[in-house]
Amino acid sequence: MDLLIGLFEAFSNSSTYVNAALFAGLLIFAASGEWIAERSGTINISVEGMLLAGAFTSAAGYTVTGSFVIGMICGVLGGMCVAGVQAEMSHRLTADQFVVGLTLNILILGLAGFLAREFDLDTKTASRLEVPLLNRIPLVGEAVFDQPWPFYLLFLIVPLSWWLMFRTRWGLEVRASGEDPQAADVSGIDVNRRRRQAIYYAGFTAGLGGAFLLFVQVGRFDEGVVSGRGFIAIAAVIFGGWTLRGTVGGCLVFAIALALRLQLPNYYEGIPTELLQAFPFLVTIFGMAIFAHRVSAPASLARPFVRGLK
Amino acid sequence: MSSGTSDLTGVDVDAASTPAVELRGITKRFGAVSACDGVDLVLRRGQIHGILGENGAGKSTLMKVLIGLVLPDEGSIQIDGRPQQIRDPLTAAKLGIGMVHQHFSLVDPLTVWENVALGEGGRLDPEAVRLRIDEIGEHYGLAIDPYARVGDLTAGMRQRVEIIKCLRRDPSIVIFDEPTSVLTPEESTSLFKSFRDVVAAEGRAVVLVSHKLDEVLAATDDVTIMRQGKVVEKIVTSEADAPTLARAMVGRSVSLRNERAALGLLGAAAGPTAAADTTGVADASGVDPDSMVSPVERPVVLSLRQASARSSKGVVLLDDLSLDVHAGEILGIAGVEGNGQRPLGDVLSSLVTLSSGDIHVNGVAISSKVPGAMAAAGVGVIPEDRHDSGVVLDMTVAENLVLMDPNLAARRGVMDPASLLAIAEQLITEFDIQCAGPDAPLWSLSGGNQQRVVLARELWQQPKVLIAAQPTRGLDVGAIEYMTERLRQAAADGVAVLLISSELEEILDLADRIAVMYRGRVVGEMARDDADLERLSLLMGGAAA
Amino acid sequence: MNDQTRRAEWIGLYTASIALALGGSAVLIQVTGGGSWAVFQALIEGSLTGNGRWGLTLGAAAPMLLVALGTIISARAGLVNIGQEGQLLIGAAFAVYFGFLIRGPGPFNLVVLMVFGAIGGAVWAGVAGLLRFRRGVPEVLSTLLLVTVASQLVAYALGREWLLLAADSAGARNNVSEQLPPDNRLPNLDLFGNQIPFAAFLAVAFALFVSFALARTVWGFRLRMLGRNPNAAQRAGVSQTSFGLRAMLISGAFAGLAGALMFAGGGFQFSNFKFVPGFSGNIGWTGLLVALVAREKAIPAILVAFVFAGLRTGSSFVGSTGVEARVTDVVEGLLVLALLIPPAIMFIRDRRRARLATTART
Repeated sequence: MDLLIGLFEAFSNSSTYVNAALFAGLLIFAASGEWIAERSGTINISVEGMLLAGAFTSAAGYTVTGSFVIGMICGVLGGMCVAGVQAEMSHRLTADQFVVGLTLNILILGLAGFLAREFDLDTKTASRLEVPLLNRIPLVGEAVFDQPWPFYLLFLIVPLSWWLMFRTRWGLEVRASGEDPQAADVSGIDVNRRRRQAIYYAGFTAGLGGAFLLFVQVGRFDEGVVSGRGFIAIAAVIFGGWTLRGTVGGCLVFAIALALRLQLPNYYEGIPTELLQAFPFLVTIFGMAIFAHRVSAPASLARPFVRGLK
Repeated sequence: MSSGTSDLTGVDVDAASTPAVELRGITKRFGAVSACDGVDLVLRRGQIHGILGENGAGKSTLMKVLIGLVLPDEGSIQIDGRPQQIRDPLTAAKLGIGMVHQHFSLVDPLTVWENVALGEGGRLDPEAVRLRIDEIGEHYGLAIDPYARVGDLTAGMRQRVEIIKCLRRDPSIVIFDEPTSVLTPEESTSLFKSFRDVVAAEGRAVVLVSHKLDEVLAATDDVTIMRQGKVVEKIVTSEADAPTLARAMVGRSVSLRNERAALGLLGAAAGPTAAADTTGVADASGVDPDSMVSPVERPVVLSLRQASARSSKGVVLLDDLSLDVHAGEILGIAGVEGNGQRPLGDVLSSLVTLSSGDIHVNGVAISSKVPGAMAAAGVGVIPEDRHDSGVVLDMTVAENLVLMDPNLAARRGVMDPASLLAIAEQLITEFDIQCAGPDAPLWSLSGGNQQRVVLARELWQQPKVLIAAQPTRGLDVGAIEYMTERLRQAAADGVAVLLISSELEEILDLADRIAVMYRGRVVGEMARDDADLERLSLLMGGAAA
Repeated sequence: MNDQTRRAEWIGLYTASIALALGGSAVLIQVTGGGSWAVFQALIEGSLTGNGRWGLTLGAAAPMLLVALGTIISARAGLVNIGQEGQLLIGAAFAVYFGFLIRGPGPFNLVVLMVFGAIGGAVWAGVAGLLRFRRGVPEVLSTLLLVTVASQLVAYALGREWLLLAADSAGARNNVSEQLPPDNRLPNLDLFGNQIPFAAFLAVAFALFVSFALARTVWGFRLRMLGRNPNAAQRAGVSQTSFGLRAMLISGAFAGLAGALMFAGGGFQFSNFKFVPGFSGNIGWTGLLVALVAREKAIPAILVAFVFAGLRTGSSFVGSTGVEARVTDVVEGLLVLALLIPPAIMFIRDRRRARLATTART
């Protein structure tokens, strides 16, 4: 069929992979932190705001100092500030996490848009780092091994997240807090503290993601630079069944869909781009429906914990 | 027998040695109720100390104070002679106090070793934890696979994990809180043996919190008896016997019920001859208990035939269970908790669907799948966990009283505040429900009064069948008596009463007939008069009678 | 602690929080070179005091209120529905499609629009409902994911003439639908010098009705039971599946109705009686926020919706003060966060007081 040929041609074009890698990078940064946050029992709906704040502050940092490294550190700080509000309000002050999260998204969007128009942010993408030999692998090589240098932080963040979750006591307590906060509490774990920390980590990675967006993918700040990708990160975690492998896989799937949306129309007109964009979401939904009995969401996901209340 | 506080001078221990734990004047109030009232407690090393009391006597709260889950309003704590403030479980752990919890301490999706490692500090070292688990398992006879998923384990195995989790910290003071409620008799015996091992060789202080006389008699060195939040007696176990303990626990002259309580499952005095000795003995009210027995042959109201049910994970809940309950009789379901009693109650509450078999009320088949079908057919339920399915805590007393059928206080779909109030006031008076008023939220009522609300509502619907699941659990003595009377009254009025209880004493006291459940089915039935404890305990433990 | 002091505490906390929010916004504006007082004046003028403005604000508040009402109903049933944005879109899309398909006379078509709007929203929420009650998929996840699916679906439909695209759109920059003819539009009532859209009256009427239904009917009683204790509800004959599903459908219906009314009412910034990309203007999310800020009570939601709407209508006047209109999003965000703080602090204070009171008796 023409569709298959079209797909084949799209996948034979290396720019598909480059685009996919760029999309995936942002998602993986955001999702590896969101994964930990959700495993701890919170749905961190302010990821969107965290990414945007990270993007803005990293742009600001670079504009002021001219240094990418400082820009990235500022990005991290920006993400963690948003995380701070989310974490402290929902898991110390017991405010509803959805209200806080949604409001933060609105607030950051307004703030970033407002400030961006007031100040002139002068940024560009970071210098490329080529990995010799590997970057010659057909199709994928350029996408993965010939990117601006902040891209490669991905290879650190993902293992870091895994290590934190499964090799440290902290990760064990985070998991316990997400699965059975009562039991964790009785065992002496401060459930809400672990959840706050998980959110801070999500802010950390999302801040990096925002910096990635600026210094690797886009190069300029614009208030629409995130436009919904934070929600995709949340979807990726769900798609991946709350495992890290699945989450990264989910990010790749969503990223490929986004890349195809750009590339496929060059080769085949039959699939509406809207279907392409919606496709990963549909897969996630149907996946949950089909594997209903094995949906391994943390048992206490999105349920606030107060000692003494069930 | 003296009822004053005797101290432990008879105990063979170096009198100059400092007690491991000394609690003085511990008081804790929850609202108007004193859960603990000026409690003194002394625990010595090398001793197994029992804390005996009925449900609601304050034992659990006292232990929660010691373990740091509850802050006392008054009183002092000394550990090894030094005053301490125990603010949270971490502090308690640092002081060497460990508790083997009954529930709520294990995380199902995690493995055994992960659960054991939970709650400590320091680096996570799976190998070290695994080694320790094997060590402890061997030492105390508590072998278990460190990599097993806790959610897949049986109740007995899960308790093992709890014990290992506690012992791993090498506590010098070990508290066992009602440990045998989910164990079979053999498992209980081996557990008590491990108490000795834990204590003897290593100079620890062990506390056994229980409401079962026979356990305390079998396993402890000395006993503190609590009643209604206060310490009423301290006895050296070797100088005590069942009736003494029973009388101290309950605080009245011993009635027939408590004589039977004194016999229990493991006590040496158990046996058919002992039971026969107590028949014909008048209880305090002067009525010959024997004349209350012998149910008349009346029509079968509730009938379950080959009822089977499975959990969503495929675990067998009910296995080909059949039973009949006649009008006007009390059928007691005996058994160790966890053998299908809860699913039985749930099925009759429309909360669990049968995979096969059927249920009939007065000859009419009732579907277990349709929500509300049981209630509509006249099956009233006093659930095992009223917070789970019996009441809505955030609603008012009045609203809870019409929970099952709000149309009773409504006209054409709109609630009528006047009739709601009338109904509520009538029931509050009739059942003597202590509350601030019909508009008081249910959470403001004490446990006993909440149970009265449930009772009032169910009885008011004039049910044909009444399921009473663990109806007196967690209630004080007065509330227990009230509930018991009401159940008897219901039966006298012709209601078919199904009493599910893990308290054998309760069943022996109330039931006309007794059926024993084991692994989801009825393994034996008998009239109360024919009930002998040996046979019952065999059935409860799964052996054929 | 008596009621008087308690009320004083509440008032104090709220005043302080709101002052903090407004103060923070003011600082932000000043620091970036604008005049904060001018901005606030512009906001008040744009939303309230200006000529015909409060009518406009009411019109903007109407769909928010309707979405909030739907959210309140599903929340009472214990469901977490965060997909109102999607339900609103699908509802509006249904309304547009069937409205142009049927093309009845004026008032009749209005009814068609509203009915199909409600149906569309209900269907979309129903998908999540079925997923939840037949397959156990948490509705918080499915409704969220369905929002994106909805916007993609609607974008697709807007690109196709056989669906929503206006005929003879070739060469047009944006994909838009046909415009609703004047006699099919929702009327405005001229009161006190303001054009008040009919939708506002409808929304307030619904709010009163929902408030009554939840508090005083058997249905509302059962709904509350379901939300608070599903097991007890099941025993009493309230099936989680059917009752809960119905609550989801009703919730979606309100959002869909809101979308239909936005289309037919053509109020403030509502795309002038056409269905356009970005039609929903985040009204769905805002309506959800309104419900949450109003602590899931119908009558307070009326006021909260008005405030949120006021920020929107007011923001169009802010531009003339030389300050970026975006700043109203900042004010909105800070205000909501500020409003969350008093209940949280009171909750924590109450717990601390309870603990201290008992230990004080030593």
